[in-house]
Amino acid sequence: MSIETTFSDSIVFHGPLSELYQLAKEGKIKTSLQGSHTRPCKFWTATKILSGIQNSVIIAHGPSGCAFGVKKAYKLTNSRNSGSPYEAVISTNIDMKGVVYGGEKELKGAIREVDNKYHPDVIFVSTSCATGIIGDNVDAVVDSLKDEVNAEIMTIHCEGFAGEYRSGFDLVFKQLVRLMEPRDPKRTAALAKSVNIVGGKMGPERTEVDTDVKELVRLVEGMGAHINSVIAGNCTLEELKNAPSVAVNCTLCLDLGYTIGKEMKETFGTPLNSTILPYGISATERWLREAAKYLGMEDEAEALIASEYGAIQQEIEDAKAQLEGKLAIVEAHDAIKALSIAHMLEKDFGMRVVIYNFHPWSTEARETSIDYLLETGMDPEVLITKGTLKFGKYESMKQTEEELLAFLGSVDPASTVYFGSSLSYPAIPVVDLNAILNRPRFGFRGALKVAQCILTSMQYSFRPRSWLTKKMVFPEQSQGLASASSLTPKWSEEAPDCTLYAAERRKGRCMMN
Amino acid sequence: MYDELEFSHCSHSKDPIIGCALEGVANVIAGIKDVSIIIHSPQGCASTVATAFDKHEIDFTRRKVGCTRLFETDIIMGASEKLASMIREADRTFNSKVMFIVGTCSADIIGEDIDGLCREMQPEIKARLIPVMAGGFRGDSFAGIDMGLEALLPLIPKQEIKLVNKVNLILPQSNLNPTWQADLLWVKEVLREMGVDVLSVLPHNMALEELEEAGLASANILLSHDAGYKFVRKLEERHQIPFILGDVPLPVGLSNTARWLRAAGGYFGAEEKAEEIITRGEKLVVDTLRKRALMIIPRYRNCRVALSADATLGIGMVRMLFEELEMIPELVLLHSGTQEARELLVNELNELGLTSGVAFSVDGYQLKQAISEAKTDVVIGSAWEKYMAEEAGIKTSFDLLSPTNRDVYMDRAYFGYEGMLNMLEVFGNDWERSYRSKAINWEQFA
Repeated sequence: MSIETTFSDSIVFHGPLSELYQLAKEGKIKTSLQGSHTRPCKFWTATKILSGIQNSVIIAHGPSGCAFGVKKAYKLTNSRNSGSPYEAVISTNIDMKGVVYGGEKELKGAIREVDNKYHPDVIFVSTSCATGIIGDNVDAVVDSLKDEVNAEIMTIHCEGFAGEYRSGFDLVFKQLVRLMEPRDPKRTAALAKSVNIVGGKMGPERTEVDTDVKELVRLVEGMGAHINSVIAGNCTLEELKNAPSVAVNCTLCLDLGYTIGKEMKETFGTPLNSTILPYGISATERWLREAAKYLGMEDEAEALIASEYGAIQQEIEDAKAQLEGKLAIVEAHDAIKALSIAHMLEKDFGMRVVIYNFHPWSTEARETSIDYLLETGMDPEVLITKGTLKFGKYESMKQTEEELLAFLGSVDPASTVYFGSSLSYPAIPVVDLNAILNRPRFGFRGALKVAQCILTSMQYSFRPRSWLTKKMVFPEQSQGLASASSLTPKWSEEAPDCTLYAAERRKGRCMMN
Repeated sequence: MYDELEFSHCSHSKDPIIGCALEGVANVIAGIKDVSIIIHSPQGCASTVATAFDKHEIDFTRRKVGCTRLFETDIIMGASEKLASMIREADRTFNSKVMFIVGTCSADIIGEDIDGLCREMQPEIKARLIPVMAGGFRGDSFAGIDMGLEALLPLIPKQEIKLVNKVNLILPQSNLNPTWQADLLWVKEVLREMGVDVLSVLPHNMALEELEEAGLASANILLSHDAGYKFVRKLEERHQIPFILGDVPLPVGLSNTARWLRAAGGYFGAEEKAEEIITRGEKLVVDTLRKRALMIIPRYRNCRVALSADATLGIGMVRMLFEELEMIPELVLLHSGTQEARELLVNELNELGLTSGVAFSVDGYQLKQAISEAKTDVVIGSAWEKYMAEEAGIKTSFDLLSPTNRDVYMDRAYFGYEGMLNMLEVFGNDWERSYRSKAINWEQFA
């Protein structure tokens, strides 16, 4: 399509989020992801969470490719970004013979070998498509060896075909609760001023980057409380055992944190503080106050909030003065972040928000966040164009870019700000909150970063975007195809937190959409 | 004779450092221009295929990949209809000349008839459909490369005539140089200087039509010691195209580059030109190192090395390290283990009088064990071996091979003379950094 084409021809949906959500639930809008939009499978998402548990070994029961892929993506990214040691992901290396005759013998041998050579605290046996289909009785093998091996051992049924992308996260977060021990008076007393941050992914955050997790830890400790564990961000088995006895579980990622938090609440009665991602002042205050309520530290929380807000008040107010009443276009490639950013822009800065290209598939994957947003009285506009749903097209690609430009043609550029990837080129201020320099994004310091980022983008919006970088993203002879997997490698290299990963130095993709 | 290392607790458990057969198959397909791929699989396998496209650095605006995203009901009921609709949709959208339909573990095990479906659908589909079944359980990525090449064999027509001094280059991508394209370019350049033209590069940036000409070549040169041997032998049997230069290591380091060039020059009657290239190249290396790298002499002499590499680069590097740099390759840990690679390495070690510890088709556990136990002065490998070396307390490691944590913007060969200098530059920079302390507390000097 050309920019001149009537923009209304490109619109698939334009209305409030609640309407989109309802249409999706009623099956009146197609929610399936097109075949060119693959996401990590259930095996990948399950092993991503498992990769955040210290001194555990994953045995992927299947051909070697599954273990190799997740090791490259998760364990080795941990090594590169966080300086953690090299960690194995084991495969039973099922071959043709194994597929025909079964691989239970191989699995038994692998469990014994892993226990002997790695001496892990926990062994997770994760199933793959191949062993799921041939019907190896993995549970029976695992049960038969429970008394023999020193490590705790658990089966994770996560065949790649057995569920959508999100299902692997949920499965593991629910199962991890089985490694935990019930609250008891001694532990609850010891952990009365402690919290777990739940819903984290993939390993340690020992990095020079100011990550979002670090900021939450700083705030909790600033209140005078302690962190028992970030689950599953480099947590130990001991931390997991103690986890139910903390004062409260606080969600990092609302969707995933809610899954484990709810399970722990139902199983052990551990209280849960689940609010939207703490982007901005309003969400952070709510996150802290909810945590403080269970910690019995309301006064400390108010003092912290006053002090933290006091330190950034001027810049936040400057930003608000420039933004209030303006239109914010929030790119929804990363759905949960888009919802949280929408919340921040409306609540903190008084902007009118349009979430651009929120794939209907995300209504299911991000159900918890949508419910939360709607329950708190927010119902942002959503605009979906044809490009987002087209086979073979995605993210920063020609069609959605042209559709965006066409949409912006109908709005006042002087009163509009684009919150999305800097790989888009609208002629209005572009605020890219994924950039490494804009970390942390959570908490008060995060709110300040966001405000500074907005002000800088507005101050220098007179500068035309670089023809060099534009040509890099949109080559002249482009066929218009592009994929998330190709365009995010640099981000994933530079962002050593739970939101991104890179399979190799020049490869990777965003995991949060 | 070398000392083949043995590892306990490794009979049933593997910590893989290379991908599965699907990655290998995709690695071959991604080397063909104007193709699209439909993967008949659950969605996770798409990332494996993406790795292959990354290997060839296919522009992100030209990747044409679809996946049927199989779920439980598809596995139980079969998903041929789903595949058929995707083929139709992809044909409309991608407009590619050729569409590979690749079945992975799930489709392979449940017995989806991809061959039959492609035959049935071909009349209504513009793209030529080529089915390949590539269950990951069929082997590692090197085995997958061989499977992918096997799928290309029927597309090479028999040719009665052979064109003099025209060659095919096979598998340039099976090489752990992060910018292996430069090695391919070096080979093309020196062959051109010797009056030899390249007919086809199988398969990199290759139009499918080039396969039709491949049968006209008068020789095949395999640019890998890790895969492709079956393919070149079949080309020898079926198309009477001789496989040449298979008995010398690939051109890594001064001696091996000279051996390779002399062997090529001898075959093509370009001995003088080969000598000219050798003289010029050796002068370049010597002059450059005299000016800029005299320190490598005391630095590297008798430095004990653990080398972890693919056979393609690793075999050639042994001689370079030992003879030319006076290092001692105590450990040689190769990522593959073809019979041909084993024989080449044994010959090299015997000729050099080395009794290094050797392991083939190593996994991550074996690499880490060997590196930790040998405690050499230096480890040469990728970023992964660098992590292992750090944990083992080895101060210096050279992050030379893929996957590397170095940014490499311009293609840099490892083959040939400039290639040796490129490798030594990496060695030099990593050596320098390994002795720069970050731990010293500046306050003590205040």
